[in-house]
Order: sequence, then C-alpha cells, then structure tokens
Amino acid sequence: MSAIVCSHVDKAYGATSVIRDLNLAIEEHEFVVFLGPSGCGKSTLLRMLAGLEDISGGEVSIGGKVVNDLEPGDRGIAMVFQNYALYPHMTIFDNIAFGLKRQRVPAAEIKKRVEAVSKTLGLEPYLGRKPTELSGGQQQRVAIARAMIKTPKVFLFDEPLSNLDAKLRNHMRVEIARLHQSLKTTTVYVTHDQLEAMTLADRIVLLKDGVIEQIGSPAEIYRRPGNMFVAGFIGTPNMNFVEVTVGRSGNGWTLTGAGTVLSIAGQGYHLQHGDRAVLGIRPPDLKTASADRGCNLLQGTADLIEFHGNDALVTFGSGGKEISALVPARECPELRAPVRYTFDEQSIHLFDATTGLSLRKQ
Amino acid sequence: MRPYPIRPGRLIAKAILALAGFLAVFPLVWTALNALKNNVDIITRVPRLVFTPTLANISYILGRDSVLTGLYNSVVACGSAVLIGVALGLPAAYAVARYPNRFAGDIQFFVLSLRFLPPVAVAIPLMVIWLQVGLYDTLPALIVTYSLLTISVIMWLAIPAFQGVPKEVEEAAFVDGYGAYPVFWRIALPVAARSLAGAIAFSFVLVWNEFLIALMLSSSNAKTLPIVASELSQQGMNVPWGILNASVVLLSLPPLLFLGVLSGFLNSVFRQKKT
Repeated sequence: MSAIVCSHVDKAYGATSVIRDLNLAIEEHEFVVFLGPSGCGKSTLLRMLAGLEDISGGEVSIGGKVVNDLEPGDRGIAMVFQNYALYPHMTIFDNIAFGLKRQRVPAAEIKKRVEAVSKTLGLEPYLGRKPTELSGGQQQRVAIARAMIKTPKVFLFDEPLSNLDAKLRNHMRVEIARLHQSLKTTTVYVTHDQLEAMTLADRIVLLKDGVIEQIGSPAEIYRRPGNMFVAGFIGTPNMNFVEVTVGRSGNGWTLTGAGTVLSIAGQGYHLQHGDRAVLGIRPPDLKTASADRGCNLLQGTADLIEFHGNDALVTFGSGGKEISALVPARECPELRAPVRYTFDEQSIHLFDATTGLSLRKQ
Repeated sequence: MRPYPIRPGRLIAKAILALAGFLAVFPLVWTALNALKNNVDIITRVPRLVFTPTLANISYILGRDSVLTGLYNSVVACGSAVLIGVALGLPAAYAVARYPNRFAGDIQFFVLSLRFLPPVAVAIPLMVIWLQVGLYDTLPALIVTYSLLTISVIMWLAIPAFQGVPKEVEEAAFVDGYGAYPVFWRIALPVAARSLAGAIAFSFVLVWNEFLIALMLSSSNAKTLPIVASELSQQGMNVPWGILNASVVLLSLPPLLFLGVLSGFLNSVFRQKKT
C-alpha cells in the first residue's frame, strides 16, 4: 500500500492555477524529492500534503486514509520548515515536547523520549536554552528532533537546508540521509538544489509550472531525461543543446547543425528523414578527439576556460553555437587555441525540436 | 586603543543633546520640587533650590475627598477600560492580522478613524447618549466610553505586532496538533507579548491623561483625577502653586508606576540566559 497518493490534485488561488491535475503515488519508506525551479508549485504541493493549504480539487490520501479535510495535526505527518520555525519563547526541551504534550503523553514518558531524540541528534547540552542561543545548524537539528519525536507516518521537509552555509549544508544532508536509513520513515523533501535531490532521493519528482515533468530515480532522470526541460535542469554544468536536421544515410542517420555533420546509427531513437531535432550532450561526455579522428567532431576555438580543479570547462563556438566541454585539467587547451571534441553515441540525447520530448525509444 | 581626539563637531552634538535632555527633564524635576515647597518659596523672584521642605501640599491633596474620589474613579475607569480593551482588542487584532477577510482593511481604517476625529465631535454625541440612557455622570458610562478608545488603540498597535509573528511558527504548532485557539494563546500571544505590552501601556496612558471626554461625561460623581486637578487651579485669585504641583505629581505617578512594573515584568520574562 502506498504511503501517499495524490489523485487529480488541483490548486488554484482565485483564477491563478498553481497545480493542475497532479497524480503521484509515494511508496512506504520511500524518500521522494520534489525538485523544480522556484514558483513550480513544489512547496505548495508539500503544504497541501501537510494540510497548511486547502486542496482545490482532487484527493490526497496518507496511509490509505483520505486527508483532504483533516487538520494538519490529525494527518500523521511532521514537518521541518525552511526557517526552522522554532517556538522562540520556549526552551529547546519544550520545543521538542510541544507536540507530545498535545497528545497528552505522560510527563515522564515525554522526558524519556525527548532525551532519546536529543541524544540521537546531539542536542543534549542545549535542552535548557532558547532557540536564539543556538546556531543555525543546531536550530535545524531541533526542528528535526521536533518532527522525529512524534514518530510520524510521513516526514515533510520544506527546503530545510537552504538557510545554512555550504559546508553545514553538506553535513546536514548526510545527517538527513543517515536518519532516513535508520528510521525508514516515508519522506517528502522539497528543494531547488539538484545536488540535494540527486544525493538524497530514492525518486525525484521534477516539477515545472505545477505539472510533473518526470518521475524517476536520480540515475534515470540523469541518464534518460524525458524532455528538454528535465535535460537542461538536471546536471551541472548544463547540457549543450544543438539544433540539427535529421537525414537518412545508408543504414544510419546524419545530424546536420552547428556547422558540422554528425553520423549515428540511431537505433535507439524514433527518427525520420528531414525532421528538425535537438541534440543534447552533457559537457563531461565530450572527449578530446585524437588527431586522426575524422568524423563526429565538434570543433572550434576555445573562447572561455573555467578552471574547476580536477577539471576545466572549455567553452568554444561551433557554427555560431556555444558548446561547453568538461575535460580533465591536464587536457585543458590554451585560450583561443583550436579544440576538437568527439563523443560516444551512447551518451547523446535527441529531442523533438517542437515538442521538446525525448525521441528515445522506450 | 587610542582615545578618539575630541573634535568640535562631537562637542557641539553632545552639548545639544545635553540641552535637549535638560529641557525635557527640568520641568518635571521643578514640579516635583515645588510640590515640596511653601508658597513663599515658590513665588520668589529668584528661584530657590535650597528651601525648607514641607509635606503640607501633599497632605492637603491627599486629605481632600474630591481628590481621593477622583483617584478612585480614574483607577477604576482606566483599569476597567484597559482590561476590556485587552480582552476584546487583542483577539480582534489577531483575527484581522491572521485571518483577513475582505473587510479587514475597512476594519483597520474604521478603528483608526476613531482617533482622527476631534474629541469634541465624539464627546458631545456620547454625552447626549448617556444622558438619554440615564447613565450620565456614572463610572459605567466612562468605562464603556474609554473602552472604545482602548480597544481601538490596542487593535491598531496589536495588528502589526501579530503580523510580526512568523507565520511558520504558528504553522508548526498546527502541525504539532494545536487548533486556532491554542495557537493564539500559546504561540501568538507569548511571541508578540513584548510589543503587545507596549500597546497596552500606551492605551492606559492615553485614557489616564484623557481630559475632554471626562469633562463632558461627568458633573460631580464620576470626575476623574485630571478634572479634579484642574479644578484646584480655580480657587480664586491666589493660585495655590504648591497644591497644584503636588496634584500633578500625584497624577503622574500611576502611569510611571504602571510603565515601571510593565517594563520590569518584560525584562524578567525576556532576559536572555547568559551561557
């Protein structure tokens, strides 16, 4: 049985539609990340699961029970907010215990459970303090403790790490991953950071303008993006897109564009002679071509070189199109030197030029 | 660290500050001093800082029934009005701040407009109403009238105070299983307490110092302290300066005490624990 099911869920503020006919099933124990650019409706969807936003249409069920009209407190969920949302007038102990007090748990048990949870999260020295006396990372841990102690059916995280500095963010990300490994609680996590999504998620739900663009494991989404938006959104540095015309040639196909002609076998794709298509290729998939290589070359003059440490991102113009290649730093060319790159057919993506959908055969 | 060189600009700034401070504080000090002087010491050509103090003015004030009645009326009328203002104004302000409907803006404007009108425009109709109802010159009439002021002032100041409470903190309490009323009592009120206390103190001072409405709504029984104090100056050609000053001191003490108690209370509640 799925832990969370959204069927035909709509959300509108007046005439503005934020989420349209959304269908999603989240399995028990699963860690699902809602990922998307700001304004895509991912936080709104999470708040609808939490009961903090009304559901305009459709049905949401948690643990087999329709929760559309249930108060947040009756849904068996716990939520961690972006700005922690700790109760500023209470001590850390009271912050963590506040939810249990509502459930009329005896004081002795509350004390025992708060101590257990704060031990897990290393909060024991701070139980008597007020939230303002804690650092951002510690406050975030208190917020997680407050969510954990209720042993909810579902954890909801609303961009929990975006207020932390980069180093702490990495640290807390690992902690959240460990926590999920040990607790196995179904988790829905909202973020706009694809690194968080890729590292934490069992499945990523990629949203844009209130519509699901693709659902899949991080590897699936990275390797087989369903459309150009997903391909462009996932992966740093961004995927190169080159508009090409498809042509038939013997048993294979040619792609003409960016001042060059590429030839591929094209068995994995739905192709037709004369189609307009978009070739997508990730910068790390471009390899420096050996001197004797004569086909499938993208070449030009290195306009810009960004040194990353191990790698360097080389940007060059090819037929009036900017293309980037991520190459090992030792192969990094001089600025304004001619460069030649080639690729493996397995690593390319082809999209329909009008619909943006992947041409890959399922 | 080397001390800053004393520049003329800083010197002038400090002198201006000192002068402003003196202008603000000196009349109060002088009033308090005069309350302890005999009339001869007050009306001298050269102001006297050294004099034989007397408690005659203060004991005269406290010995008069009219003053004690005025004090009683003031405390009861203002205290009750502030309590009513808190009981009705705070929930109303919270509702406008957190659950705004299409009338929220109009409500806020109406509440504010009660303070725009010249007091006379409000006082005369109120006088007629209380005369008709038969409650003219009674404490209940004064309490209800003052409650209009305290509710409006408290609402006006409490709406931004409640809006300043982070919405997520209240939402976290909802997720923790609390309903709208517990969230108001256990989250919104304590978190906004500091600003709310200021609003309450301000409303108290406003009605305590209120003169015109009290004058219009009372003739003998329900006179408040400001009315009684003003009457002390109408006792013939010889102005009893000492007594006047003593009554001013008496008038000023309750608001000062109120603010003192309130700020002490706030400090004890919100003092950060040093670690």
